[in-house]
Amino acid sequence: MTQQATKPEDEKLTREQEHENRRLAALAMGGSKKLETRRAKGELNARERIALLLDPGTFRESGLFVTSSVPGDRDKTPADGKITGSGQIDNRRASVIAYDFTVKGSSSSPTSNKKMSHFKELVVKTGQPLIYLSESTGVRMPDAMGGSGMGSANGKTRFLRQRESPWVSAAFGYCFGSAAWHTMASDFAVFRKGAVLAVSSPNLVARATGQQVDPQELGGWKMHSEVTGFADAVASSDEEAVELIRRFLSYLPSHNGETAPLAPVPTGSGDRADEIRSIVPEERTKTYDVRKVIELVVDTGSMFPIKARYGKSLVTALARIGGQSVGIIANNPMFKGGALDGAACDKATSFLVMCDSYNIPIIHLVDQPGFLIGLEAERNKVAGKIINWMNALSLVTVPKIAVTMRKNYGQALINMGGGGTADSTAGWWSSEVSFMDPTSAVSVVHGVDKETDPELYELRLAEMNKGTTAYDTAQVFGFEQVIDPAETREYILGALSDHYRARSNGVGEHLLRTWPTSF
Amino acid sequence: MAETINADMGANVWKILVKEGDQVEEDQVFLILEAMKMEIPVMAEDAGTVGRIHVAEGDVVASGQPLLDFEEE
Repeated sequence: MTQQATKPEDEKLTREQEHENRRLAALAMGGSKKLETRRAKGELNARERIALLLDPGTFRESGLFVTSSVPGDRDKTPADGKITGSGQIDNRRASVIAYDFTVKGSSSSPTSNKKMSHFKELVVKTGQPLIYLSESTGVRMPDAMGGSGMGSANGKTRFLRQRESPWVSAAFGYCFGSAAWHTMASDFAVFRKGAVLAVSSPNLVARATGQQVDPQELGGWKMHSEVTGFADAVASSDEEAVELIRRFLSYLPSHNGETAPLAPVPTGSGDRADEIRSIVPEERTKTYDVRKVIELVVDTGSMFPIKARYGKSLVTALARIGGQSVGIIANNPMFKGGALDGAACDKATSFLVMCDSYNIPIIHLVDQPGFLIGLEAERNKVAGKIINWMNALSLVTVPKIAVTMRKNYGQALINMGGGGTADSTAGWWSSEVSFMDPTSAVSVVHGVDKETDPELYELRLAEMNKGTTAYDTAQVFGFEQVIDPAETREYILGALSDHYRARSNGVGEHLLRTWPTSF
Repeated sequence: MAETINADMGANVWKILVKEGDQVEEDQVFLILEAMKMEIPVMAEDAGTVGRIHVAEGDVVASGQPLLDFEEE
């Protein structure tokens, strides 16, 4: 009897074994060496980031067995460098796209783009946030070269944003190509310290222009938080970046057809309202930090600043009052005396767009000396920025509330919810309102200044100071109420009830939903 | 670390409250600028020593112009 040549048993895999081997190969990502290098630097890998982001055990992966369509790369491209799927964040559905930098630098290929597009469409249909955990070298080479590469590069909806549901991105490391585009198209972008976001890498910049650039200078987290304002928040670690995303989403609805979830009101909220009077000096030339006032007005511990390092004369922050999400826009005299510059205008506009898109009422806390004027401001297009802000504010359909705290002058008064642009208005009993600071007005109208003719100056100043009190504004219904500073929270709670859009269950018209995602 | 503190807006230098060589604490005010009818304090972000002061009271400074050098502790 001749012996038949048979394969040894261990080479013939069962269905179960083959499946398990393939699964493990995909889960191994770019291999233990690359994963270990990241760990040594204190960086999480893409799967660890997903595990932190989603509620435990809720991740349902889609496309685990995707690989590059280039035959030679199939074994080297687990999940094709993009790990995608859905799960839950605080018991609400959410989808996630995590860039796996250990697989070809998480560069984008036609197949990985298909995975991402699947979720961009899914979140629109189902109404859930989409979270990008971003880190990528950009488009994959040489796959994208040539006419056929570029010809199959895009889809009509790949960068279409109509803010049906929130997009959020964390920029962890190098973000070139789609990682940069998705971060720029998001409603909230957190930059981990060390992250770099740019159109091209420093290497390509050097080759194209001969310019040697430092990556941090080109597009570092500090540059984007302080110079461009593209960073909504900065995190010191991967863990903190993920936590900031979870926190941001807690203030937002899952989609624009509902309002944000109510949170319990921490005990003691509003109890220290009397302290507001000692924080804000009545003398209008003195500065203070408005963030201390906001903390006393909102639910304890609920203030969540957006773009805190940019356009600092204006504070924009999500917060809760009576458990309800609100967007705060407040002047901060601590920086530039509270004068509104171009950066503050852009910051205000983008914040209005977000609040209006996701049914979050807006509260203005006003104390400002006007727009920052001068050569630099005009060259930086401040006139255009002022009117973009004004147009956005006029298009907002969520409740708008405005409290004048101290002084309120000029066109900026209208941008800050005055002049009939807000639904509900109040002024502190000590506040003053005019077209400009009375001391400037004396010089402009009468050509008199303090130094040359002190007696006449004082006489004219007394005239200019007349008719600027809160009661003068209230007399023509410019303020509906004149209040004690300590009553600010109570007033806002009342105004939120008064202006709740009951006919649409608190859902606005979202006229700003197609406003550009950047500025 | 030595650094130069610059004006973040065009302003008049209204009052200078420190001298070269002074030790200052965090949040101590170096000088007060005057712009937009506001008194805008320029403060130390950390404790340290005041180096050279580049401006005098009454000077007009442009945005980005050096005000003083500061050595953080």
